[in-house]
Amino acid sequence: MSIVEVNHLKKYYGNARGIEDVSFTMEAGEIFGFIGPNGAGKSTTIRTMLALLHPTAGSATIFGKDCIRFAPEIAQNVGYLPSEVFYYDGMRVIDLLQYSASFYRKDCSARIKPLAEALDLDLKKKIDDLSFGNRKKVGIVQAILHEPKLIILDEPTAGLDPLMQQRFFELLREENKKGAAILFSSHVLSEVNKLCHRVAIIKEGRIVDVDTIGALKENGYKKVLLETKIPTQESAFTLEGIADLTVRGNLVTFIYRGSVNRLLTTLSALDLSNVAIVEPDLEEIFLHYYR
Amino acid sequence: MNIYLHELRVYRKNTLLWIVSLCAGLMFLFWMYPTFAQNAGVMKDMLNNFPFALRVAFGFSIDAITTVTGFYSFVVTFFVLCGAVQAMMLGISVLSRETTGKTADFLLTRPVARATVLTAKLLAAVTCVTVTSTLYVAFSVFAATTVTDAPIQMGIFLKMAFSFFFLQLLFVALGFCLGAIVPRIRSVLPIAMSTTFGFFLIGVVAGALNLQDLYYLSPFKYFNTVELLLTSSYRTSFVLTAATVTVLAVVTAYGVYLRRDIRAA
Repeated sequence: MSIVEVNHLKKYYGNARGIEDVSFTMEAGEIFGFIGPNGAGKSTTIRTMLALLHPTAGSATIFGKDCIRFAPEIAQNVGYLPSEVFYYDGMRVIDLLQYSASFYRKDCSARIKPLAEALDLDLKKKIDDLSFGNRKKVGIVQAILHEPKLIILDEPTAGLDPLMQQRFFELLREENKKGAAILFSSHVLSEVNKLCHRVAIIKEGRIVDVDTIGALKENGYKKVLLETKIPTQESAFTLEGIADLTVRGNLVTFIYRGSVNRLLTTLSALDLSNVAIVEPDLEEIFLHYYR
Repeated sequence: MNIYLHELRVYRKNTLLWIVSLCAGLMFLFWMYPTFAQNAGVMKDMLNNFPFALRVAFGFSIDAITTVTGFYSFVVTFFVLCGAVQAMMLGISVLSRETTGKTADFLLTRPVARATVLTAKLLAAVTCVTVTSTLYVAFSVFAATTVTDAPIQMGIFLKMAFSFFFLQLLFVALGFCLGAIVPRIRSVLPIAMSTTFGFFLIGVVAGALNLQDLYYLSPFKYFNTVELLLTSSYRTSFVLTAATVTVLAVVTAYGVYLRRDIRAA
């Protein structure tokens, strides 16, 4: 059974679009990337899954249960880290974490100390005195404290220095090894690349593609770089499957998806001085979706 | 239970401060009572010089002001106003604090039903005003007995004192309802003050013009102390209105908040 099933989820804030039509599924133990630029609808999707928002249409199930009707029950096994974390000022870190722990059936207070140590977090400090990055660490501990079966991270790495980011990813991999599925929303592709098994690409409130990282890269997408002997024009590249075409004098680059033979036939008609056909990086594929 | 205790911890200091201030105010005003009582004649003459409308508006009864209970009927008006401000602030802030502090995301992604969160918060606010009211009533009795040797009409006196509690409950409910309907209330004090003073003024105007129907629009007129002095009881229709308003406000708050979208911070 899928851990998460999102079915044609739609959310409007009055007349403003949050998401238009979002569907995807997540399997147990999967690290699932959710990528798209700001405003594409990542947070709206996540907040609806968490029952903070009520869907306009469509539905989502987590652990096989409707995410709105069974929200409290589902939350027992969900950890959530928002992009910006806010906690009660005036509380100490340890008080906040114990308060958070007090909501779960599982006694997880014993995990506070080792997790805080792993992230180099001072438990005795007041929340008001923490820097943005340190607040984030409180958020991380809070999100994984109760060993949830599903961890939902909404642009989680902002504010963490590279070292902390690495430790954070280690913690996530540990939780994943123990069986937790992770939904990782981000607009930073390199981190999705590092961590995720599959990704969904969201654009203007719709999922445009769901695939494994490997498949996205190998999915016939080629990056083609050409150098022609005489300056050429865009009109010379009408072959179907060409995208992101740029022509600058005698330098030409584009992304190509389709039959390699047809590509080579087209290229052979040109008078070339140099050619390179390479695997595009994820960033370039991503940009391709957004043209 | 954990939310309830957490809320109590948050409002502990604030409630204590209100209690101390209220008791200090009570003590101060009751200390003035012997002066009033001794100069009863002068006081009556002075009050008689006030325009009739003004006297009715503020609801003092001249003959009554010389007994401790009568004096209290006049003092209570102002304490009830303070109590209403405290209660309304509490009612608003238990909910709006989560939005303005952006902690709603945290709280509402815990494994608890929204209704449970609401109930815990409402109970915490009610607990705070119950403690405040209980101490206010007890201290009123104490202060009254220290300034007079004459017997006090305890039944009427207590009814008067407890109007403070009922109005606090009503204003907690109103604040709670407002906090549920309006997503972000940053300035809790000004809103609580202006609402309560607004209601109070409606009562004053209604009193001055003797428009009894208008009394229903001002919760402060639901527990009319002048009438209480004359008839030894509050008017049933007003008490029922108070109860209805309180219940309706709470029900509305639940209805709205359970369906509300919690937008990103």
